[in-house]
Amino acid sequence: MTAQLAQMGLKVDNFDRIIALAGNPNTGKSTLFNALTGLKQHTGNWPGKTVTRAEGGYEFQNVKYKLVDLPGTYSLLSASQDEEVARDFILFGQPDCTIVVTDATALERNLNLVIQVLEITDKAVVAVNLMDEARRKGIEVDTRSLSRDLGVPSIPIVARTGEGIQMLLSTVAEVIEGEVKTQPIRVQGSPEYQRSITTLAEQIEQLYPGVPNARWLAIRLLDGDARVQSAIASGEISELVASQRRADVQFSRKMAVEGRQ
Amino acid sequence: MEGSFWILLILLVVFIVAVFFLPRYGILSRWQHYQKSVEREALEDALKYIFDQEQQGHYVHQDALRGALEISAKRIYSLLDQMESQGLIQHEQSQIILTENGEKLALQIVRAHRLWERYLADEARLPLNKVHSVAHRREHGMSSTQIEELDAALGHPLADPHGDPIPNAAGIFRPHEKGTNLNHWEENTPGKIIHLEDEPPLAFAQILATGLKLGQTIRILEKNNQRIVLTDGENEFTLAPAVAANVFLQELSETDQALRDAIPLTALKGTQPAEIVQLDERCQGFTRRRFLDLGLTPGTTIYAELENAFGDPRAYRVRGTLIALRKDQADDIWVKPLPQA
Amino acid sequence: MTETKQLQPQDVLAMAESLRPQLGSGFRDEIVQSMYTEAQRIVDRAVNKGSKKKWDLDQRIDRLVTSPIFGLPIMLLILAAVFWITIVGANVPSQMLATGLFWIEEQAANLFTSIGIPWWITGFIWHGVYRGLAWVISVMLPPMAIFFPVFTILEDLGYLPRVAFNLDWMFKKAGAHGKQALTMAMGFGCNAAGVVATRVIDSPRERLIAILTNNFVPCNGRFPTLIMLATVFVAASFPPVFSSFVAAGTVVGVVLIGVFFTMLMSWILSRTVLKGEASAFTLELPPYRRPSIGRILYTSIIDRTIFVLWRAILTAAPAGAAIWILGNINIQGVSLAQLIANFLDPLGFLIGLDGVILLAYIIAIPANEIVVPTMMMVYMGVGMMTDPPSYSQLHTLLVDGHGWTMLTAVNLMLFSLLHNPCATTIMTIYKETKSKKWAALSVVITLGTAFIVTFLTATIARLAGWV
Repeated sequence: MTAQLAQMGLKVDNFDRIIALAGNPNTGKSTLFNALTGLKQHTGNWPGKTVTRAEGGYEFQNVKYKLVDLPGTYSLLSASQDEEVARDFILFGQPDCTIVVTDATALERNLNLVIQVLEITDKAVVAVNLMDEARRKGIEVDTRSLSRDLGVPSIPIVARTGEGIQMLLSTVAEVIEGEVKTQPIRVQGSPEYQRSITTLAEQIEQLYPGVPNARWLAIRLLDGDARVQSAIASGEISELVASQRRADVQFSRKMAVEGRQ
Repeated sequence: MEGSFWILLILLVVFIVAVFFLPRYGILSRWQHYQKSVEREALEDALKYIFDQEQQGHYVHQDALRGALEISAKRIYSLLDQMESQGLIQHEQSQIILTENGEKLALQIVRAHRLWERYLADEARLPLNKVHSVAHRREHGMSSTQIEELDAALGHPLADPHGDPIPNAAGIFRPHEKGTNLNHWEENTPGKIIHLEDEPPLAFAQILATGLKLGQTIRILEKNNQRIVLTDGENEFTLAPAVAANVFLQELSETDQALRDAIPLTALKGTQPAEIVQLDERCQGFTRRRFLDLGLTPGTTIYAELENAFGDPRAYRVRGTLIALRKDQADDIWVKPLPQA
Repeated sequence: MTETKQLQPQDVLAMAESLRPQLGSGFRDEIVQSMYTEAQRIVDRAVNKGSKKKWDLDQRIDRLVTSPIFGLPIMLLILAAVFWITIVGANVPSQMLATGLFWIEEQAANLFTSIGIPWWITGFIWHGVYRGLAWVISVMLPPMAIFFPVFTILEDLGYLPRVAFNLDWMFKKAGAHGKQALTMAMGFGCNAAGVVATRVIDSPRERLIAILTNNFVPCNGRFPTLIMLATVFVAASFPPVFSSFVAAGTVVGVVLIGVFFTMLMSWILSRTVLKGEASAFTLELPPYRRPSIGRILYTSIIDRTIFVLWRAILTAAPAGAAIWILGNINIQGVSLAQLIANFLDPLGFLIGLDGVILLAYIIAIPANEIVVPTMMMVYMGVGMMTDPPSYSQLHTLLVDGHGWTMLTAVNLMLFSLLHNPCATTIMTIYKETKSKKWAALSVVITLGTAFIVTFLTATIARLAGWV
């Protein structure tokens, strides 16, 4: 890999940015994690290999990133233990950007999770991994069409060989800096569902002005998600909004200081 | 030699004393605990019985209650005394009536019971005929926080697996369709079973024994005072009218119509492709959510690719991935065969 | 006081509560379906499936390895091959390591003696602690360094989920999950690792079953015992050319007995204590992938071998010290170790073993690896752990010297297979289940099974007059 990427292994105390790594089980998330951090987390070809949250660091273009490898999940809706870890981190851990790793040979199944992640956060990049396997099987993936339809950048990569990783990292940086504007897709259900979701989402926004994912919270409330219920009842959501603002202020101050130097 | 005998004897005595009198773990304290829980269960069962009778517009007499709870006359007095002193019931002539508090508590127990039934059927995948008795044991002594947690964990279900509505925390039954009693259903009109009454257990067991299931589409072939004969298109079922009164039907909706031509996924032969029509109603809880997550949604194309030596599980190709399903799971997926590609 | 009432969180929750029944129970279905519909539309535009030629190879392999006729034999063959490679490949390096490490011990001990350090310090450090370490390293390192990479190749290829698929019918009957086969396979390396691996089972009941029964799969620390017994008592009666195959076959046989008890215990557990726990089944069969050899070597050697070895070393050093002390403190001319062994003898006899073996198992609670050396120490009456002499000498020592019979060998294999988990595994079970109850139960059921089974075989063998 080129000089722009420096693997930092477990040194993650001093970082500027947090990146979450989400994805279906067995899509090569851990391989990408290892390639970026230089760590050697074990990867195996069976679903559910990574079951705890692993953390590592890398430096790219002089910015230090902390990378959090979330457990592989099919969805964020079923509330199994690993799904809750992943969901909670994307929602409450407030990563600066979420990379959703997908398997190019089974995109249809993988996009279900991508769409769910995009409901929670608009700071996301889709990494279309295992492009070599796809080529071997004669599958062609048009990532430009994918980016256009999803409303977030999607980058073809081969995590095993490092192909496309530079592109992925610079895109992540651009999304964080706001140089690339994202406009995630929102799935429209039938009209009566849409109506209930909108009504409830409006109330949530009224309750917690500035909450970034009111629509998603509304969906979860209607679905009867115990965790989201308690987060709304206890005001945890408003803290989320507040700390988001604080982080933004801190960051722009830091940029101002660095700019003067 | 003499010394060691005494030491052993003392140790033995200490041990026996400990076994009996140890706080919390000793036999005595366990017995007390057990006694208390038995009393509490009797009280809760009594509340539920009175509540049920009141719902049906009957008033409860002490003897009827005693018969229902199967306890002695002496115990029924002390039980009723206790309930009255706790402000749960009041007597009006010889009738027992629930107070507002009593009704609240009764509703909470009904709620706990039906939530447990939901849990046992959906998450523990217990057969439907075992659900009631296990839920009956678990419903007792739950705090309202525990009940709320159970409700939230199950995603606030509206009805128990028999189709009975679950009251919400405020004790209000959510609106639901109870359907038409089988005895009043027209001959030869197809209908969907939406409710199977689980009380009395004997009738419920008879219904289950015939093989009738919630969500099944049936029509009446023959109806007279002795028996009612039903068919689901393949099998015939015969019920006594008294038992049939516990089966409730509803008219078919559009999806139900589509379901009539569908076959379970297990009936799909070889690598014949098919389109998923619906996940069966009886498949709920984590299994249903996981099916959806894996992309087993209506309209999806699916075909069997690998078969185990014993035919169970089979692996199916769906949305480009290979998913193994057990036979009892694949039975819950209704498909419509497509022409061979 | 303001005119408009401030919106409260409860209001929002109440709103959700009132909307929910209107949507009915199909809300989740509806959301997921619309997401998948969208996903399908996007993929239709972005993906060109092209020719389907390459799919066929994967399918053909799948058809073969899951075929009704060849599936199970292929699996057993692969299993036997892995053991055979491990046994044969580890033999020579083990000998060399032992020779080297014990040579160092001798030299160091001589050096200590020559500069006048008291015998008990030399003995404690070199013949106690160091010898414990040397034993564990020379016995464990070579098999692990071979077993783990070979096993990792199977793992990376994607073969293990096919095993789960092939065996699920069996697990289903036992009320367990096919993925338990995966966690059992991990257990061959280390039961603690197997217990951690049960996280892939996403249903609570089946996961607990997998945790509580993982110990019925013999781990790396127990293989040396099994291999030794298989070689000395079973393979010895075959021509030398076949002996390694017979030994591997015997080990596979023992593993199958372990599988039998796993099934039996799973069946019992799912119908008793675990009845009513949540249950579900999903198993995805991922496409085959070419393993990358470099990474396999790295992960299996650094992550697994060194990790497991380090843990063994940490427990072997104090155990070595304990053995030395027990062997060197004499009461009326008999070592403490011998005294305890004599005390345990009646119980040992009852289950077809003897007191020495039981003592070895008690000392080996932290790590199963040191069972054999402890036994040797007490048998040979030397105050330190001993490198076993050659297999024929061993046979003479055990059979002629200490009255071992085929029953002793068989029951020791069974006991080694079924007895309680090592301390690390028990700790791991506690951490994974967050419950002392389950950790305790894991000990009770394994130890109980071990005693009952060995008692039965011993009694039956004696009544039938075989021994």
